[in-house]
Amino acid sequence: MSGFTQTAVSQILVKGQLIVLLYFFAVNGWYLILLVSSLLELRRHMLLITDESRHLLLSSTLSPTISILAPAFNEEATIDASLRALLALQYPNLEVIVVSDGSKDRTVQVLIERFDLVPVKTIYEHRIKTKPVRSLYRSATYPSLVVVDKDNGGKADALNVGLSFARGELVCAMDADTLIEADGLQRMVRPFLYATDVVATGGTIRVVNGSEVKFGRVVRAAVPTSLLAGVQVVEYLRAFLFGRLGWNRLGGNIIISGAFGLFQREAVLSAGGYLHDTVGEDMELVLRLKRLSYERGGPGKIAFVPDPVAWTEVPESAKVLGRQRDRWHRGLADVLWRHRRMLFNPRYGVTGLFVFPYYAFVELLAPVIEAAGLIGLAFGLATGVIDWNFAGLFYLTAYGLGTALTAFTLILEDLSFHRYETFRDRALLFWWALVENLGYRQLTVYWRLRGLWKFLRGKKDWGSMERKGFHPVTAS
Amino acid sequence: MISKQLLNIVMLIEIGLLMLAVGLFFAHGLWLFLNQRRIRRLTEVARESLAHLVTRGTVNVDDIDALRQLPNNVQVMAFLEMSRNVTGAGKERLSFVARQVGLVDRAQKLCVSRRWTRRLRGARILSRLGVVDPLVQQLLSDPHPAVRAQAAEWAAAQPSVPVISAMLTLLADPATQARFAVQDALLRMGGVVAEPLATFLERHTGRAAEAGLRVAESLAEPSFMPAALRLSCSEDVGVRIAAAKLLGAVGDAAAAQRLIELLDDDDSSVRAAAAQGLGRMQHWQAASLLAYRLRDSAWRVRRAAGLALRSIGAPGVLFLRRALKEDDAFASDMAQQVLDLPTAAASG
Repeated sequence: MSGFTQTAVSQILVKGQLIVLLYFFAVNGWYLILLVSSLLELRRHMLLITDESRHLLLSSTLSPTISILAPAFNEEATIDASLRALLALQYPNLEVIVVSDGSKDRTVQVLIERFDLVPVKTIYEHRIKTKPVRSLYRSATYPSLVVVDKDNGGKADALNVGLSFARGELVCAMDADTLIEADGLQRMVRPFLYATDVVATGGTIRVVNGSEVKFGRVVRAAVPTSLLAGVQVVEYLRAFLFGRLGWNRLGGNIIISGAFGLFQREAVLSAGGYLHDTVGEDMELVLRLKRLSYERGGPGKIAFVPDPVAWTEVPESAKVLGRQRDRWHRGLADVLWRHRRMLFNPRYGVTGLFVFPYYAFVELLAPVIEAAGLIGLAFGLATGVIDWNFAGLFYLTAYGLGTALTAFTLILEDLSFHRYETFRDRALLFWWALVENLGYRQLTVYWRLRGLWKFLRGKKDWGSMERKGFHPVTAS
Repeated sequence: MISKQLLNIVMLIEIGLLMLAVGLFFAHGLWLFLNQRRIRRLTEVARESLAHLVTRGTVNVDDIDALRQLPNNVQVMAFLEMSRNVTGAGKERLSFVARQVGLVDRAQKLCVSRRWTRRLRGARILSRLGVVDPLVQQLLSDPHPAVRAQAAEWAAAQPSVPVISAMLTLLADPATQARFAVQDALLRMGGVVAEPLATFLERHTGRAAEAGLRVAESLAEPSFMPAALRLSCSEDVGVRIAAAKLLGAVGDAAAAQRLIELLDDDDSSVRAAAAQGLGRMQHWQAASLLAYRLRDSAWRVRRAAGLALRSIGAPGVLFLRRALKEDDAFASDMAQQVLDLPTAAASG
């Protein structure tokens, strides 16, 4: 290499690393703002809910009707318990619609036998195009239960069919394996009662791995001891308690977890329901609802409820987790690409000017920048262009500050809902907050990059999710 | 490239932040652990004293003193917990004891605070204790909707003329939260609100009337009829729907006649509400008209008509069976689906 080339490469490396460093400073600075915002929002929320009488809502005939849409695919083993838990939710005007998405096992048979189902003429209002519905059942014992058997078409298609059969003013979209807190719907419906411009609400989803589950309810929350599940507990807390809650105060929420979300049915139907040809159908719907509210007028507020309302099982194998993260990132890329016209577009208000650019330049491009930074750092150290002081500063900025912010998130949880009660849980949470930076976070960078690559190549497969199932109850 | 000094400064800041977070996290855990044990013990004392005072009906000075010495949060928690489980004379005694220990005074001070969160807290305590207090009534016109909503919850247990009058005004509240709380509270007041609500409905239109009609539907008093008939001609679709539902709930001959007219309304939601109302009244004389609506262009009307026919009983079922032979596939399919429904699912 000639002297000139060597100097040019060193300059590029040094300047590049400085840019990456500044990027991390800016991102962590923004996270700090989000943390403060979420702290203020959480305080306001706690003041509002302390000693409130939610039981009044429970017994009020004026509460809006909620239709729960529960897609099921080959859930023969768990559908009985899951459905009984749904039917036992504490909410006065409730309808449960189970959509068997072309299950190849005995899911529908189990439902027929255990819930006293009878077939009824299969007609419904076709407002959204879906795969054909094979049969429709109603229960002779549970008047609010509707079971639909349809050809396989994926989760989005199953939810669209559910939407066609729903009669509630609000619809609750969930995953078949989500465990909803008994009073979860009462907590989630609150924003709809508080404002007329709310089109959807999401709540805090917690990781169920390691916790004790009895009759479809989490009876004791605990932090798992396995590495992958443990770090995901910390990740979920951070994502919900300071990410979404912080954005909530700033009016910039555009994500509602597919595991559990509540929507205005008419708004979703008017928007055309869930899209089939995307792997990020949850985020796509929310962003579309938001966009349409700017274009057509009407409600467009996405509210976030910090209360822990539902629990989900996270993958404990690197292979499955990798597939999930790769899919999430592909979904993000796809959704942002579809709605790219919103970027820096003042017509879309805060969403176009701040939220969309944040998701594009921070959430989407973060793995690219982080990977470039790490590779440049290794190369720079190897060639002596970058000194150890710089490397130290880089690490502290990229990861150290993040760890401190995560630790403050744990305090937020502790000050508010305090679901992890024992010293063991506390120590484990902190341990996983430290450990996640030593390999796990870098691994997620790889998975997300893989997702981006697949998106660029146009891949839209879901990959399979293997579940371990919930732990049986142990006497305590 | 980067001075050692800068690195050290950043490292010190981060270590400081991390240590602060860890310290706070574990210190809070330790505090919770110790405090919860203390609170649990104190709560047991409070529960026992309160149980003595409320169930025996005699005031024991020792029990009052024991309650007075408790920290504020424990005292409030114990009283609010007990308030859920007592009614009538028990609740009156509870509120008397709350006055004796100074809890009511403190809540009243909170009610006049400049901070809405404190006013909310004050109103919440007084509501739960069932204390009759003009201060809470004043909060019905509070600038914050959460406080107004809480005051409405309090009002549900105080059905006096001025309170009802203030509550009815709030039916036009722009804040959904307050409006919902007011509607719910009016419902809980029961028949006592029928007359003032009927008068209110006769004089109002728009959002306030719609909110009032929903309450009236649940109360289903005949005195709402004139207002329901008037509002069923409103230009506002929401009001016409609510009026149709009220007519169905009240259910006399005039109501049936108006509902039959509404079956021809331009708006499908109104037609569906009218069909639903006729079904609720089990007005068999309208069976043929409902059967005709099985051919309506709107799904919701066909469905409401089918379910209404099923609710009517034998005459309605007869029309549904006849509809099975109709050339119109929409009508015959809907009739088949409604006839297939198990009884439990056919009510709505």
